[in-house]
Amino acid sequence: MSVTIDEVKKLAKLSRLEFTEEESKQFLSEFEAILRQVDAINKVDVSGVDLLESTINADTDLRKDSVRTSLEVEKIVANAPESEDGAFVVPLTVLED
Amino acid sequence: MELLDLSMSEILTKLNNKEVTSVELVKLCQKRIEETKDLNALISTCFDTALEQAKIIDSKRAKGEKVGELAGVPMVIKDNINILGTKTTCASKFLSNYTSIYTATCVKKLLDAGVVVIGKANMDEFAMGSSNENSAFGPVKNPIDKTRVPGGSSGGSVCSVASKQCFASLGTETGGSVREPASFCGVVGLKPTYGRVSRYGVVAFASSLDQVGPVTRTVEDNARILSVIAGKDEMDMTSANVAVPNYLANINKGVKGIKIGVAKQFFSDKLDGEVRSKLDDAIAWYQANGAQIVDVDLPSIDAALAVYYVLSSAEAASNLARFDGIRYGVRADKYDDIIDLYFKSRTQGFGKEVKRRIMLGNYVLSSGYYDAFYRKAKRVQKVIKHEFIEAFKHCDVLLSPTTSTTAFKLGEKSNDPVAMYLSDVFTVPINIAGVPSLSIPCGVDKQGLPVGMQIIGAHFEEAKIYQVAAAFEKHNTKGEK
Repeated sequence: MSVTIDEVKKLAKLSRLEFTEEESKQFLSEFEAILRQVDAINKVDVSGVDLLESTINADTDLRKDSVRTSLEVEKIVANAPESEDGAFVVPLTVLED
Repeated sequence: MELLDLSMSEILTKLNNKEVTSVELVKLCQKRIEETKDLNALISTCFDTALEQAKIIDSKRAKGEKVGELAGVPMVIKDNINILGTKTTCASKFLSNYTSIYTATCVKKLLDAGVVVIGKANMDEFAMGSSNENSAFGPVKNPIDKTRVPGGSSGGSVCSVASKQCFASLGTETGGSVREPASFCGVVGLKPTYGRVSRYGVVAFASSLDQVGPVTRTVEDNARILSVIAGKDEMDMTSANVAVPNYLANINKGVKGIKIGVAKQFFSDKLDGEVRSKLDDAIAWYQANGAQIVDVDLPSIDAALAVYYVLSSAEAASNLARFDGIRYGVRADKYDDIIDLYFKSRTQGFGKEVKRRIMLGNYVLSSGYYDAFYRKAKRVQKVIKHEFIEAFKHCDVLLSPTTSTTAFKLGEKSNDPVAMYLSDVFTVPINIAGVPSLSIPCGVDKQGLPVGMQIIGAHFEEAKIYQVAAAFEKHNTKGEK
Protein backbone atom coordinates (compact mmCIF):
# COMPACT_ATOMS: atom_id res chain seq x y z
CA MET A 1 0.00 0.00 0.00
CA SER A 2 1.59 3.25 -1.04
CA VAL A 3 0.82 6.64 0.42
CA THR A 4 1.18 9.95 -1.42
CA ILE A 5 2.43 13.26 -0.07
CA ASP A 6 -1.02 14.72 -0.76
CA GLU A 7 -2.58 12.05 1.45
CA VAL A 8 -0.14 12.90 4.23
CA LYS A 9 -1.10 16.56 3.93
CA LYS A 10 -4.80 15.74 3.93
CA LEU A 11 -4.38 13.53 7.01
CA ALA A 12 -2.47 16.27 8.78
CA LYS A 13 -5.35 18.63 8.11
CA LEU A 14 -7.90 16.11 9.40
CA SER A 15 -5.72 15.54 12.47
CA ARG A 16 -5.41 19.29 13.09
CA LEU A 17 -1.64 19.07 12.95
CA GLU A 18 0.81 21.20 10.97
CA PHE A 19 3.98 19.86 9.41
CA THR A 20 6.75 21.47 7.42
CA GLU A 21 7.46 20.14 3.92
CA GLU A 22 10.49 18.35 5.36
CA GLU A 23 8.45 16.71 8.15
CA SER A 24 5.76 15.63 5.69
CA LYS A 25 8.37 13.90 3.54
CA GLN A 26 9.83 12.14 6.56
CA PHE A 27 6.35 11.05 7.59
CA LEU A 28 5.76 9.65 4.14
CA SER A 29 8.76 7.35 4.28
CA GLU A 30 8.09 6.28 7.90
CA PHE A 31 4.46 5.68 7.04
CA GLU A 32 5.34 3.43 4.15
CA ALA A 33 7.66 1.39 6.37
CA ILE A 34 4.99 1.07 9.05
CA LEU A 35 2.32 0.11 6.53
CA ARG A 36 4.58 -2.60 5.09
CA GLN A 37 4.61 -4.13 8.59
CA VAL A 38 0.87 -3.69 8.92
CA ASP A 39 0.43 -5.79 5.78
CA ALA A 40 0.87 -8.84 8.04
CA ILE A 41 -2.85 -8.64 8.88
CA ASN A 42 -3.62 -9.71 5.32
CA LYS A 43 -1.87 -13.04 5.84
CA VAL A 44 -4.41 -14.28 8.38
CA ASP A 45 -7.55 -16.10 7.29
CA VAL A 46 -10.45 -14.28 8.89
CA SER A 47 -13.34 -15.99 7.18
CA GLY A 48 -16.15 -16.77 9.57
CA VAL A 49 -14.96 -14.38 12.27
CA ASP A 50 -17.78 -12.88 14.33
CA LEU A 51 -17.01 -9.18 14.56
CA LEU A 52 -19.80 -8.59 17.02
CA GLU A 53 -18.18 -10.73 19.69
CA SER A 54 -17.23 -8.49 22.60
CA THR A 55 -13.61 -7.75 23.41
CA ILE A 56 -14.56 -7.78 27.06
CA ASN A 57 -13.96 -11.22 28.46
CA ALA A 58 -16.71 -11.24 31.04
CA ASP A 59 -20.34 -10.23 31.38
CA THR A 60 -20.88 -6.54 31.76
CA ASP A 61 -23.76 -5.14 33.66
CA LEU A 62 -25.30 -1.72 33.56
CA ARG A 63 -25.49 0.52 36.58
CA LYS A 64 -28.74 2.15 37.60
CA ASP A 65 -29.55 5.29 35.68
CA SER A 66 -29.85 7.52 38.71
CA VAL A 67 -29.01 11.13 39.49
CA ARG A 68 -25.65 11.50 41.18
CA THR A 69 -23.21 14.26 41.97
CA SER A 70 -20.76 14.91 39.20
CA LEU A 71 -17.60 16.99 39.17
CA GLU A 72 -17.99 20.64 40.06
CA VAL A 73 -17.99 23.05 37.15
CA GLU A 74 -15.56 25.45 38.86
CA LYS A 75 -13.03 22.67 39.30
CA ILE A 76 -13.34 21.60 35.68
CA VAL A 77 -12.86 25.05 34.20
CA ALA A 78 -9.94 25.70 36.54
CA ASN A 79 -7.81 23.63 34.14
CA ALA A 80 -8.93 25.59 31.07
CA PRO A 81 -6.54 28.05 29.45
CA GLU A 82 -9.29 30.67 29.66
CA SER A 83 -12.65 30.60 31.41
CA GLU A 84 -15.33 32.99 32.59
CA ASP A 85 -18.36 32.41 34.84
CA GLY A 86 -17.94 28.64 34.74
CA ALA A 87 -17.67 28.53 30.94
CA PHE A 88 -14.78 27.94 28.55
CA VAL A 89 -13.70 30.99 26.61
CA VAL A 90 -13.04 30.46 22.89
CA PRO A 91 -12.08 32.91 20.17
CA LEU A 92 -14.85 34.51 18.19
CA THR A 93 -16.44 31.80 16.06
CA VAL A 94 -19.27 33.72 14.39
CA LEU A 95 -18.35 36.85 12.49
CA GLU A 96 -20.41 39.98 12.97
CA ASP A 97 -21.94 41.45 9.83
CA MET B 1 20.69 -5.23 54.63
CA GLU B 2 19.25 -1.77 54.19
CA LEU B 3 15.52 -1.18 54.59
CA LEU B 4 15.21 0.01 50.99
CA ASP B 5 16.56 -3.34 49.76
CA LEU B 6 13.66 -5.22 51.31
CA SER B 7 10.60 -6.30 49.38
CA MET B 8 7.25 -4.62 50.02
CA SER B 9 6.00 -7.71 51.84
CA GLU B 10 9.06 -7.71 54.11
CA ILE B 11 8.65 -4.01 54.81
CA LEU B 12 4.97 -4.56 55.66
CA THR B 13 5.97 -7.13 58.26
CA LYS B 14 8.39 -4.63 59.76
CA LEU B 15 5.74 -1.91 59.74
CA ASN B 16 3.20 -4.21 61.40
CA ASN B 17 5.79 -5.28 63.99
CA LYS B 18 6.50 -1.59 64.63
CA GLU B 19 10.19 -2.06 63.80
CA VAL B 20 9.96 0.84 61.35
CA THR B 21 7.54 3.69 60.73
CA SER B 22 6.05 4.89 57.49
CA VAL B 23 7.50 8.35 58.12
CA GLU B 24 10.99 6.82 58.27
CA LEU B 25 10.34 4.96 55.01
CA VAL B 26 9.09 8.07 53.20
CA LYS B 27 12.22 9.94 54.32
CA LEU B 28 14.47 7.10 53.18
CA CYS B 29 12.76 7.03 49.80
CA GLN B 30 13.04 10.81 49.51
CA LYS B 31 16.77 10.59 50.18
CA ARG B 32 17.19 7.83 47.60
CA ILE B 33 15.17 9.79 45.04
CA GLU B 34 17.43 12.80 45.55
CA GLU B 35 20.57 10.65 45.26
CA THR B 36 19.36 9.03 42.04
CA LYS B 37 17.85 12.11 40.42
CA ASP B 38 19.94 11.59 37.30
CA LEU B 39 17.79 8.54 36.41
CA ASN B 40 14.93 11.01 35.76
CA ALA B 41 12.40 8.42 36.94
CA LEU B 42 9.92 10.90 38.40
CA ILE B 43 8.13 13.91 36.96
CA SER B 44 6.84 15.22 40.28
CA THR B 45 7.08 14.34 43.95
CA CYS B 46 4.70 14.96 46.85
CA PHE B 47 6.73 14.33 50.00
CA ASP B 48 4.81 16.84 52.13
CA THR B 49 1.44 15.18 51.67
CA ALA B 50 3.13 11.78 51.83
CA LEU B 51 4.63 12.60 55.23
CA GLU B 52 1.26 13.82 56.49
CA GLN B 53 -0.39 10.58 55.41
CA ALA B 54 2.46 8.50 56.82
CA LYS B 55 2.12 10.24 60.17
CA ILE B 56 -1.59 9.42 60.33
CA ILE B 57 -0.92 5.76 59.52
CA ASP B 58 1.92 5.54 62.04
CA SER B 59 -0.23 6.98 64.79
CA LYS B 60 -3.10 4.60 63.99
CA ARG B 61 -0.70 1.68 64.13
CA ALA B 62 0.85 2.90 67.36
CA LYS B 63 -2.61 3.07 68.94
CA GLY B 64 -3.44 -0.42 67.72
CA GLU B 65 -6.19 0.83 65.40
CA LYS B 66 -7.06 -1.11 62.28
CA VAL B 67 -4.99 -0.13 59.24
CA GLY B 68 -5.22 -1.17 55.58
CA GLU B 69 -3.37 -4.14 54.12
CA LEU B 70 -0.68 -1.95 52.52
CA ALA B 71 -0.60 0.69 55.24
CA GLY B 72 2.49 2.86 55.22
CA VAL B 73 4.08 1.57 52.01
CA PRO B 74 5.58 4.35 49.84
CA MET B 75 4.58 3.96 46.20
CA VAL B 76 5.03 5.78 42.91
CA ILE B 77 2.23 6.17 40.35
CA LYS B 78 2.63 6.61 36.59
CA ASP B 79 1.90 10.15 35.48
CA ASN B 80 -1.07 9.20 33.29
CA ILE B 81 -3.09 8.20 36.37
CA ASN B 82 -5.09 10.93 38.08
CA ILE B 83 -4.62 11.68 41.76
CA LEU B 84 -6.65 14.61 43.10
CA GLY B 85 -4.52 17.72 43.44
CA THR B 86 -1.42 16.33 41.72
CA LYS B 87 -0.12 17.28 38.30
CA THR B 88 -0.99 14.60 35.75
CA THR B 89 1.09 15.42 32.69
CA CYS B 90 1.25 12.14 30.74
CA ALA B 91 4.82 13.37 30.09
CA SER B 92 3.35 15.73 27.50
CA LYS B 93 4.01 19.42 27.02
CA PHE B 94 0.29 19.64 26.29
CA LEU B 95 -0.66 18.68 29.85
CA SER B 96 2.35 20.21 31.64
CA ASN B 97 -0.02 22.46 33.64
CA TYR B 98 -2.85 19.96 34.22
CA THR B 99 -3.97 19.34 37.80
CA SER B 100 -6.14 16.29 38.51
CA ILE B 101 -9.60 17.10 39.79
CA TYR B 102 -10.37 13.54 40.90
CA THR B 103 -8.58 10.32 41.83
CA ALA B 104 -8.45 7.21 39.66
CA THR B 105 -10.20 4.17 41.14
CA CYS B 106 -7.00 2.08 41.25
CA VAL B 107 -5.23 4.79 43.28
CA LYS B 108 -8.25 5.36 45.49
CA LYS B 109 -8.17 1.66 46.37
CA LEU B 110 -4.45 1.86 47.16
CA LEU B 111 -4.97 4.95 49.33
CA ASP B 112 -7.81 3.17 51.15
CA ALA B 113 -5.38 0.29 51.77
CA GLY B 114 -2.97 2.78 53.34
CA VAL B 115 -0.46 3.27 50.52
CA VAL B 116 1.51 6.51 50.70
CA VAL B 117 2.06 8.04 47.25
CA ILE B 118 5.41 9.83 47.05
CA GLY B 119 5.63 10.74 43.37
CA LYS B 120 4.42 10.51 39.80
CA ALA B 121 6.53 8.55 37.35
CA ASN B 122 8.06 9.66 34.06
CA MET B 123 6.82 7.83 30.96
CA ASP B 124 6.66 7.98 27.20
CA GLU B 125 4.29 10.77 26.19
CA PHE B 126 0.71 9.49 26.48
CA ALA B 127 2.22 6.00 27.02
CA MET B 128 3.36 5.80 23.41
CA GLY B 129 6.82 4.30 23.25
CA SER B 130 9.05 1.41 24.21
CA SER B 131 12.12 3.23 25.51
CA ASN B 132 10.89 6.16 27.60
CA GLU B 133 12.70 8.49 25.23
CA ASN B 134 9.42 10.13 24.10
CA SER B 135 8.96 12.18 27.27
CA ALA B 136 8.64 15.97 27.25
CA PHE B 137 10.54 15.80 30.55
CA GLY B 138 13.53 13.97 29.10
CA PRO B 139 14.37 10.26 28.90
CA VAL B 140 14.55 7.91 31.88
CA LYS B 141 17.79 5.94 32.28
CA ASN B 142 18.17 2.26 33.02
CA PRO B 143 19.45 2.00 36.62
CA ILE B 144 21.57 -1.04 35.73
CA ASP B 145 23.38 0.71 32.87
CA LYS B 146 22.71 4.42 32.49
CA THR B 147 23.67 4.40 28.81
CA ARG B 148 20.69 2.17 28.14
CA VAL B 149 16.94 2.68 28.03
CA PRO B 150 14.76 1.41 30.89
CA GLY B 151 12.09 0.40 28.38
CA GLY B 152 8.72 2.06 28.08
CA SER B 153 6.26 3.40 28.31
CA SER B 154 6.21 2.82 32.10
CA GLY B 155 9.98 3.45 32.25
CA GLY B 156 9.77 5.76 35.26
CA SER B 157 7.49 3.43 37.26
CA VAL B 158 9.86 0.53 36.65
CA CYS B 159 13.07 2.51 37.14
CA SER B 160 11.83 3.84 40.50
CA VAL B 161 11.20 0.30 41.76
CA ALA B 162 14.45 -1.09 40.34
CA SER B 163 16.52 1.77 41.79
CA LYS B 164 14.78 1.39 45.16
CA GLN B 165 13.22 4.83 45.23
CA CYS B 166 10.02 3.13 46.35
CA PHE B 167 8.76 -0.36 47.18
CA ALA B 168 6.27 -0.67 44.33
CA SER B 169 4.63 1.38 41.63
CA LEU B 170 1.75 1.39 39.19
CA GLY B 171 2.35 1.43 35.46
CA THR B 172 -0.04 1.06 32.57
CA GLU B 173 0.00 -1.23 29.57
CA THR B 174 -1.41 -1.02 26.10
CA GLY B 175 1.08 -3.25 24.29
CA GLY B 176 3.78 -4.20 26.79
CA SER B 177 4.44 -0.93 28.62
CA VAL B 178 4.82 -2.60 32.02
CA ARG B 179 6.40 -5.92 31.02
CA GLU B 180 8.99 -4.64 28.55
CA PRO B 181 10.56 -2.17 31.03
CA ALA B 182 10.20 -4.72 33.86
CA SER B 183 12.22 -7.11 31.71
CA PHE B 184 14.87 -4.46 30.89
CA CYS B 185 15.29 -3.42 34.54
CA GLY B 186 15.02 -6.82 36.23
CA VAL B 187 11.78 -6.38 38.18
CA VAL B 188 8.32 -7.96 38.24
CA GLY B 189 5.53 -6.38 36.16
CA LEU B 190 1.98 -7.47 35.44
CA LYS B 191 -0.43 -6.81 32.61
CA PRO B 192 -3.72 -7.97 34.13
CA THR B 193 -6.61 -9.44 32.15
CA TYR B 194 -8.43 -6.70 30.26
CA GLY B 195 -11.22 -5.64 32.62
CA ARG B 196 -9.49 -6.87 35.80
CA VAL B 197 -8.53 -3.36 36.99
CA SER B 198 -10.66 -0.25 36.56
CA ARG B 199 -9.41 2.27 34.03
CA TYR B 200 -11.42 5.11 35.57
CA GLY B 201 -9.07 8.06 35.96
CA VAL B 202 -6.37 6.64 33.71
CA VAL B 203 -5.75 8.89 30.71
CA ALA B 204 -6.90 6.86 27.71
CA PHE B 205 -4.48 5.81 24.98
CA ALA B 206 -6.29 2.83 23.40
CA SER B 207 -9.31 2.16 25.58
CA SER B 208 -9.93 -1.41 24.39
CA LEU B 209 -6.37 -2.45 25.30
CA ASP B 210 -5.30 -0.23 28.25
CA GLN B 211 -4.80 -1.83 31.68
CA VAL B 212 -3.14 -0.70 34.90
CA GLY B 213 -0.47 -3.05 36.24
CA PRO B 214 1.65 -3.28 39.41
CA VAL B 215 5.46 -3.09 39.25
CA THR B 216 7.26 -4.73 42.15
CA ARG B 217 10.49 -6.40 43.17
CA THR B 218 8.87 -9.74 43.99
CA VAL B 219 5.99 -11.88 42.76
CA GLU B 220 4.33 -11.87 46.18
CA ASP B 221 4.40 -8.04 46.29
CA ASN B 222 2.77 -7.98 42.89
CA ALA B 223 -0.01 -10.33 44.00
CA ARG B 224 -0.66 -8.18 47.07
CA ILE B 225 -1.12 -5.05 44.99
CA LEU B 226 -3.34 -6.73 42.41
CA SER B 227 -5.53 -8.02 45.25
CA VAL B 228 -6.15 -4.40 46.25
CA ILE B 229 -6.67 -2.77 42.84
CA ALA B 230 -8.62 -5.53 41.03
CA GLY B 231 -12.40 -5.65 40.79
CA LYS B 232 -15.57 -4.26 39.30
CA ASP B 233 -15.91 -0.49 39.30
CA GLU B 234 -19.17 1.12 38.31
CA MET B 235 -17.20 4.06 36.93
CA ASP B 236 -15.65 1.80 34.27
CA MET B 237 -18.14 -0.11 32.14
CA THR B 238 -15.37 -2.40 30.88
CA SER B 239 -14.26 -3.48 34.35
CA ALA B 240 -15.30 -7.09 34.75
CA ASN B 241 -17.83 -8.42 37.18
CA VAL B 242 -15.60 -11.35 38.11
CA ALA B 243 -14.84 -12.19 41.74
CA VAL B 244 -11.32 -11.28 42.89
CA PRO B 245 -9.67 -14.43 44.25
CA ASN B 246 -7.01 -14.58 46.93
CA TYR B 247 -3.92 -14.16 44.77
CA LEU B 248 -1.64 -15.24 47.61
CA ALA B 249 -3.45 -18.51 48.36
CA ASN B 250 -1.48 -20.77 46.01
CA ILE B 251 1.70 -18.77 45.75
CA ASN B 252 3.85 -21.34 47.56
CA LYS B 253 2.27 -24.41 46.04
CA GLY B 254 5.04 -25.13 43.53
CA VAL B 255 4.56 -26.35 39.99
CA LYS B 256 4.07 -30.09 40.36
CA GLY B 257 1.54 -31.22 37.76
CA ILE B 258 1.27 -27.74 36.21
CA LYS B 259 1.16 -27.78 32.42
CA ILE B 260 3.35 -25.09 30.87
CA GLY B 261 2.75 -24.35 27.21
CA VAL B 262 5.56 -23.32 24.91
CA ALA B 263 4.67 -21.87 21.51
CA LYS B 264 7.35 -21.98 18.84
CA GLN B 265 6.20 -18.56 17.58
CA PHE B 266 7.74 -17.01 20.71
CA PHE B 267 11.08 -18.68 20.03
CA SER B 268 11.65 -17.54 16.45
CA ASP B 269 14.91 -16.37 14.89
CA LYS B 270 14.09 -12.85 16.13
CA LEU B 271 15.12 -14.04 19.58
CA ASP B 272 18.60 -13.17 20.86
CA GLY B 273 20.75 -16.25 21.60
CA GLU B 274 21.51 -15.35 25.20
CA VAL B 275 17.84 -14.65 25.96
CA ARG B 276 16.94 -17.98 24.38
CA SER B 277 19.44 -19.87 26.49
CA LYS B 278 18.11 -18.29 29.72
CA LEU B 279 14.59 -19.28 28.70
CA ASP B 280 15.76 -22.82 27.91
CA ASP B 281 17.26 -23.00 31.41
CA ALA B 282 13.98 -21.86 32.94
CA ILE B 283 11.98 -24.41 30.96
CA ALA B 284 14.40 -27.15 32.04
CA TRP B 285 14.06 -26.02 35.67
CA TYR B 286 10.28 -26.18 35.52
CA GLN B 287 10.44 -29.63 33.99
CA ALA B 288 12.87 -30.84 36.65
CA ASN B 289 10.52 -29.55 39.33
CA GLY B 290 7.43 -31.42 38.28
CA ALA B 291 5.86 -29.24 35.60
CA GLN B 292 4.88 -30.73 32.31
CA ILE B 293 6.01 -28.87 29.18
CA VAL B 294 3.47 -28.90 26.36
CA ASP B 295 3.96 -27.69 22.79
CA VAL B 296 1.19 -25.32 21.72
CA ASP B 297 0.57 -23.44 18.52
CA LEU B 298 -0.32 -19.77 18.12
CA PRO B 299 -0.14 -19.58 14.33
CA SER B 300 -1.38 -16.00 13.90
CA ILE B 301 0.55 -14.11 16.57
CA ASP B 302 3.06 -12.88 14.00
CA ALA B 303 0.27 -10.55 12.87
CA ALA B 304 -0.35 -9.24 16.41
CA LEU B 305 2.04 -6.31 16.12
CA ALA B 306 0.34 -5.16 12.93
CA VAL B 307 -3.08 -5.52 14.57
CA TYR B 308 -1.79 -3.57 17.53
CA TYR B 309 -0.52 -0.63 15.51
CA VAL B 310 -3.78 -0.36 13.58
CA LEU B 311 -6.12 -0.65 16.57
CA SER B 312 -4.09 1.27 19.14
CA SER B 313 -3.37 4.14 16.74
CA ALA B 314 -7.00 4.31 15.64
CA GLU B 315 -8.16 4.54 19.23
CA ALA B 316 -5.39 6.98 20.12
CA ALA B 317 -6.34 9.30 17.26
CA SER B 318 -9.91 9.34 18.58
CA ASN B 319 -8.97 9.63 22.25
CA LEU B 320 -6.49 12.43 21.60
CA ALA B 321 -8.97 14.45 19.57
CA ARG B 322 -10.10 15.92 22.89
CA PHE B 323 -6.84 17.84 23.20
CA ASP B 324 -7.93 21.05 21.57
CA GLY B 325 -6.43 23.83 23.67
CA ILE B 326 -9.90 24.86 24.84
CA ARG B 327 -10.87 22.77 27.85
CA TYR B 328 -7.53 21.87 29.41
CA GLY B 329 -3.88 21.79 28.63
CA VAL B 330 -1.65 24.38 27.05
CA ARG B 331 -3.13 26.76 24.46
CA ALA B 332 -0.86 28.19 21.77
CA ASP B 333 0.03 31.85 22.33
CA LYS B 334 -0.68 33.05 18.80
CA TYR B 335 -3.46 31.95 16.46
CA ASP B 336 -5.70 33.48 13.82
CA ASP B 337 -9.07 31.93 14.65
CA ILE B 338 -10.55 28.94 16.48
CA ILE B 339 -9.48 26.39 13.85
CA ASP B 340 -5.99 27.80 13.86
CA LEU B 341 -6.03 27.58 17.67
CA TYR B 342 -6.59 23.80 17.38
CA PHE B 343 -3.84 23.45 14.79
CA LYS B 344 -1.28 25.51 16.69
CA SER B 345 -2.06 24.09 20.15
CA ARG B 346 -1.88 20.49 18.94
CA THR B 347 1.20 21.04 16.79
CA GLN B 348 3.08 22.71 19.64
CA GLY B 349 1.71 20.48 22.42
CA PHE B 350 2.24 16.96 21.06
CA GLY B 351 5.61 15.27 20.54
CA LYS B 352 6.69 13.49 17.40
CA GLU B 353 5.65 9.93 18.26
CA VAL B 354 2.20 11.05 19.40
CA LYS B 355 1.73 12.92 16.12
CA ARG B 356 2.85 9.84 14.21
CA ARG B 357 0.24 7.66 15.95
CA ILE B 358 -2.53 10.22 15.47
CA MET B 359 -1.69 10.38 11.76
CA LEU B 360 -1.55 6.59 11.45
CA GLY B 361 -4.79 6.25 13.39
CA ASN B 362 -6.63 8.73 11.24
CA TYR B 363 -5.24 7.03 8.14
CA VAL B 364 -6.56 3.58 9.08
CA LEU B 365 -9.91 5.09 10.02
CA SER B 366 -10.28 7.27 6.95
CA SER B 367 -12.81 6.54 4.27
CA GLY B 368 -11.53 4.03 1.75
CA TYR B 369 -9.10 2.45 4.23
CA TYR B 370 -11.38 1.64 7.16
CA ASP B 371 -12.33 -1.83 5.88
CA ALA B 372 -8.84 -2.73 4.72
CA PHE B 373 -7.19 -1.75 7.98
CA TYR B 374 -9.40 -1.20 11.00
CA ARG B 375 -12.09 -3.80 10.31
CA LYS B 376 -9.55 -6.31 9.10
CA ALA B 377 -7.41 -5.80 12.19
CA LYS B 378 -10.44 -6.27 14.44
CA ARG B 379 -11.09 -9.60 12.73
CA VAL B 380 -7.49 -10.75 13.08
CA GLN B 381 -7.68 -9.77 16.76
CA LYS B 382 -10.52 -12.27 17.27
CA VAL B 383 -8.52 -14.98 15.51
CA ILE B 384 -5.55 -14.35 17.83
CA LYS B 385 -7.73 -14.28 20.93
CA HIS B 386 -9.28 -17.63 20.01
CA GLU B 387 -5.86 -19.16 19.38
CA PHE B 388 -4.93 -18.24 22.95
CA ILE B 389 -8.20 -19.66 24.31
CA GLU B 390 -7.53 -22.86 22.37
CA ALA B 391 -3.94 -23.06 23.65
CA PHE B 392 -5.15 -22.81 27.25
CA LYS B 393 -7.26 -25.93 26.74
CA HIS B 394 -3.96 -27.80 26.68
CA CYS B 395 -1.95 -25.97 29.37
CA ASP B 396 -2.30 -23.88 32.54
CA VAL B 397 0.08 -21.12 31.54
CA LEU B 398 2.28 -20.19 28.61
CA LEU B 399 5.92 -19.28 28.97
CA SER B 400 7.82 -16.96 26.65
CA PRO B 401 10.58 -14.37 26.60
CA THR B 402 9.27 -10.90 27.47
CA THR B 403 11.54 -9.20 24.96
CA SER B 404 13.73 -10.52 22.17
CA THR B 405 16.83 -8.70 23.48
CA THR B 406 18.03 -7.13 26.70
CA ALA B 407 17.91 -3.32 27.16
CA PHE B 408 19.17 -1.39 24.15
CA LYS B 409 21.21 1.83 24.11
CA LEU B 410 19.64 5.27 24.50
CA GLY B 411 19.21 6.69 21.01
CA GLU B 412 19.71 3.32 19.32
CA LYS B 413 16.19 3.05 17.91
CA SER B 414 14.79 6.53 18.43
CA ASN B 415 14.92 7.43 14.73
CA ASP B 416 13.53 4.15 13.45
CA PRO B 417 9.89 3.69 14.46
CA VAL B 418 9.62 0.22 12.92
CA ALA B 419 12.65 -1.08 14.86
CA MET B 420 11.24 0.52 18.02
CA TYR B 421 7.83 -1.08 17.48
CA LEU B 422 9.51 -4.49 17.10
CA SER B 423 10.67 -4.27 20.75
CA ASP B 424 7.10 -5.19 21.65
CA VAL B 425 6.77 -8.19 19.36
CA PHE B 426 6.38 -10.70 22.23
CA THR B 427 4.32 -8.54 24.58
CA VAL B 428 1.72 -7.17 22.16
CA PRO B 429 -0.07 -10.49 21.37
CA ILE B 430 -1.09 -10.70 25.03
CA ASN B 431 -2.83 -7.32 24.94
CA ILE B 432 -4.49 -8.22 21.65
CA ALA B 433 -5.89 -11.40 23.24
CA GLY B 434 -6.81 -9.61 26.49
CA VAL B 435 -5.12 -12.26 28.64
CA PRO B 436 -2.91 -11.56 31.69
CA SER B 437 0.87 -11.87 31.68
CA LEU B 438 3.60 -11.33 34.26
CA SER B 439 7.22 -10.56 33.43
CA ILE B 440 9.75 -11.82 35.96
CA PRO B 441 13.57 -11.75 35.99
CA CYS B 442 15.22 -14.81 34.48
CA GLY B 443 18.95 -14.20 34.94
CA VAL B 444 21.31 -11.77 33.23
CA ASP B 445 23.22 -11.80 29.95
CA LYS B 446 27.03 -11.59 29.63
CA GLN B 447 26.90 -7.82 30.05
CA GLY B 448 24.96 -8.17 33.27
CA LEU B 449 21.71 -6.94 31.75
CA PRO B 450 18.50 -8.55 33.00
CA VAL B 451 16.62 -11.07 30.89
CA GLY B 452 12.84 -11.21 31.39
CA MET B 453 10.44 -14.06 30.90
CA GLN B 454 6.70 -13.76 30.83
CA ILE B 455 4.20 -16.18 32.22
CA ILE B 456 0.91 -15.83 30.41
CA GLY B 457 -2.40 -17.04 31.81
CA ALA B 458 -5.91 -17.59 30.51
CA HIS B 459 -8.42 -14.77 31.06
CA PHE B 460 -8.70 -13.97 34.82
CA GLU B 461 -6.14 -16.66 35.77
CA GLU B 462 -3.64 -14.30 37.42
CA ALA B 463 -3.51 -16.56 40.49
CA LYS B 464 -2.10 -19.40 38.39
CA ILE B 465 0.52 -17.05 36.93
CA TYR B 466 1.65 -15.96 40.39
CA GLN B 467 1.93 -19.59 41.51
CA VAL B 468 4.12 -20.54 38.55
CA ALA B 469 6.18 -17.34 38.78
CA ALA B 470 6.77 -17.56 42.53
CA ALA B 471 8.20 -21.07 42.23
CA PHE B 472 10.82 -19.96 39.72
CA GLU B 473 11.58 -16.75 41.61
CA LYS B 474 12.36 -18.75 44.74
CA HIS B 475 14.90 -20.77 42.78
CA ASN B 476 16.25 -17.82 40.79
CA THR B 477 16.95 -15.57 43.77
CA LYS B 478 18.40 -18.31 45.95
CA GLY B 479 21.74 -17.16 47.31
CA GLU B 480 21.09 -13.50 46.41
CA LYS B 481 20.21 -12.52 49.95
